[in-house]
Amino acid sequence: MRIMIAEDSAILRDGLAYLLADRGHTVTAAVATGDELRAAVAADPPDICVIDIRMPPTFTDEGLRAALALQRSHPAVALLVFSQYVETRYATELLANPGGGVGYLLKDRVADVREFVEALERVAGGGTALDPEVVTQLLGASRRRDELAMLTPRETEVLAALAEGLSNAGIAAQLVVTERAVEKHIANIFAKLGLAASETENRRVMAALRYLQG
Amino acid sequence: MLDTMNEMNDSAFATTVPRARREGPAVARRVPVFFTALGGRRAWLELAYALVALPVGIGGFVFTVVTVSVSGGMVAVALVGIPTLAATGLASRWLGYHWRLAANSWLGWAIDAPEPFRGDPGFLGWIRSCLADGTAWRSRLYFVLKLPLGIASFVTATVLYAIGAWGLTYWFWYRWLPCRADSEGVHCQRNTGLWNGAHLDSVPTMLLLVLIGIVALLIAPWAVRAILALDRLAMQALLGPSSASRVAELEHSRAHAVDDAAATLRRIERDLHDGTQARLVALAMNIGLAKEKIAEGTAESAGSTGSDDAARTDALTLLDRAHATAKDAIAEVRDLARGIHPPVLDAGLDVALGTLAAHSAVPVRVHTAIDPRPTPSIETIAYFCAAELMTNIAKHSHAGHGTVDVRTVGDRLRLQVADDGVGGASMRAGGGLAGLRERIRTVDGRLTVDSPPGGPTTITVELPLAAESTPRQDPQPADRGSVDRGPVA
Repeated sequence: MRIMIAEDSAILRDGLAYLLADRGHTVTAAVATGDELRAAVAADPPDICVIDIRMPPTFTDEGLRAALALQRSHPAVALLVFSQYVETRYATELLANPGGGVGYLLKDRVADVREFVEALERVAGGGTALDPEVVTQLLGASRRRDELAMLTPRETEVLAALAEGLSNAGIAAQLVVTERAVEKHIANIFAKLGLAASETENRRVMAALRYLQG
Repeated sequence: MLDTMNEMNDSAFATTVPRARREGPAVARRVPVFFTALGGRRAWLELAYALVALPVGIGGFVFTVVTVSVSGGMVAVALVGIPTLAATGLASRWLGYHWRLAANSWLGWAIDAPEPFRGDPGFLGWIRSCLADGTAWRSRLYFVLKLPLGIASFVTATVLYAIGAWGLTYWFWYRWLPCRADSEGVHCQRNTGLWNGAHLDSVPTMLLLVLIGIVALLIAPWAVRAILALDRLAMQALLGPSSASRVAELEHSRAHAVDDAAATLRRIERDLHDGTQARLVALAMNIGLAKEKIAEGTAESAGSTGSDDAARTDALTLLDRAHATAKDAIAEVRDLARGIHPPVLDAGLDVALGTLAAHSAVPVRVHTAIDPRPTPSIETIAYFCAAELMTNIAKHSHAGHGTVDVRTVGDRLRLQVADDGVGGASMRAGGGLAGLRERIRTVDGRLTVDSPPGGPTTITVELPLAAESTPRQDPQPADRGSVDRGPVA
């Protein structure tokens, strides 16, 4: 994979670059601001950008704004946005515009190298990677709690895992059930929420998320 | 008056306390400050001031009375009187201003300057603002009061110091007094006679006089200081800033403190985020990578010697622990930073409250209609109020639903947090609500609780849009978001 990094902390930027190179990926550019990122992507679009939300000059949501701009200008480039905090608003803004792969992870997740690289590859492949915390918050913030309340606890777990971007096999492994059981739960969820099941994983996740966002 | 005296004593004692502390309590050789006051520079400065006070009092009194009465008299005769009254008011103001400066530097007082004179445009405007200038009239009143004060300080100082000097030295110089016939008209008495015919010439009398002199000299500096304290009170009230301008001043400095605290907290949060937090993440990442590498190494070299394997397993266990600790530290620093200044507040109160509500254990609906946007410090206070009130709902109300409503009403920000719970919330001393009220009061906000037993509960917080109720006339550019909320360079 060809990866671009936008992160203002030098120690983290270098660390990420080293980690990704070590896992056999190519880091085409490592920049420190949103503007530099936009310029770098325009010059040589990578497969995926890893973007810190807070960067100079305002240290607020620079990275997010750069990501939203890239979603419009380069829909083919996958985006993994990184944050120290989970903010519902950021996640909904990113997901509102389903183009290529999108991810929103807490910075902590870098610590678990294998899971992080897997999430990165999933996003680069057009999939979704949402931090479990983001999913919890989206579920919590949903304006359709009453309908969500109809789900059994197990179904809620499955929905959360599904919203994180896991495949049926991934969900089965996480919840220690058979894939067959997962399929059944998902069918029930869609039935209860009145959603028609569709064949691709990403559309499924997006549908669920858009539903959660109310 | 009492306060000033206490303050005086405090400051007098303050000079001896460090010495006592240095020598330790066992060495009780401290000379009470009462006996040492006379030796100090301060006593002599005060004596000089007390003596000068009389001519100043007489001059100021005469000037004030003459200017006011003469201008008043001229009003009847011609229209010259009113401008004269205005001009002499300004002169009184000027005199008061400089006399206050003199007293400040002379006696080390710290009486602030009154608000400067602002004349309206035009001759008539100028006259009008002179006549309406409270400071000018207060200065006049001061100089009228200064006469009795000056007399009191002058008389006290001269009488006490003179008695002291006379009593202390009489035994020495009385023998050179002019010759005076005694009651029988016979002897030449060289001494002071009293009204009852007694003479001050015996040894016990001399000793008594010395004693009286000592007592007078010991009392003198304190008596002078007490009268100067009255002068200081008068000067503070009449030559210092008026209470209205003092309140405005305090409001301004308090608003500055509130804004400054908010900016400092934000900077601390940013330092934690960009420094500590980034390093911790890098640390955890490297530990994670090291773990992976060792695990891979173990998989490749399966079948090597048992001791190598055991060492690798030990190292992996240690790395696992370090990894977990680093991740805990990241989470802790994040919670800490969020408690100091929630970064999402930078995106606005509505966004921050939405995230807050998403965390709430009880479902909470958020309505916002915020325009114009309050200053960052007000947003921070509103945010932490909402957070505290939402926590209260989850902890105490047994409510099924809550609502948070934030809107600008006129020039105030109104935050209303309601729930359908059991009610009975009250403002207990030391309770959470009382703490909130204290925080709100730092910006002149208000907190009202409506929570009958059985519910529902509505708590209303009203805040100004800026910490200072009368903001400075700074132009507010359209992109103030990036100006106010930009990094603290």
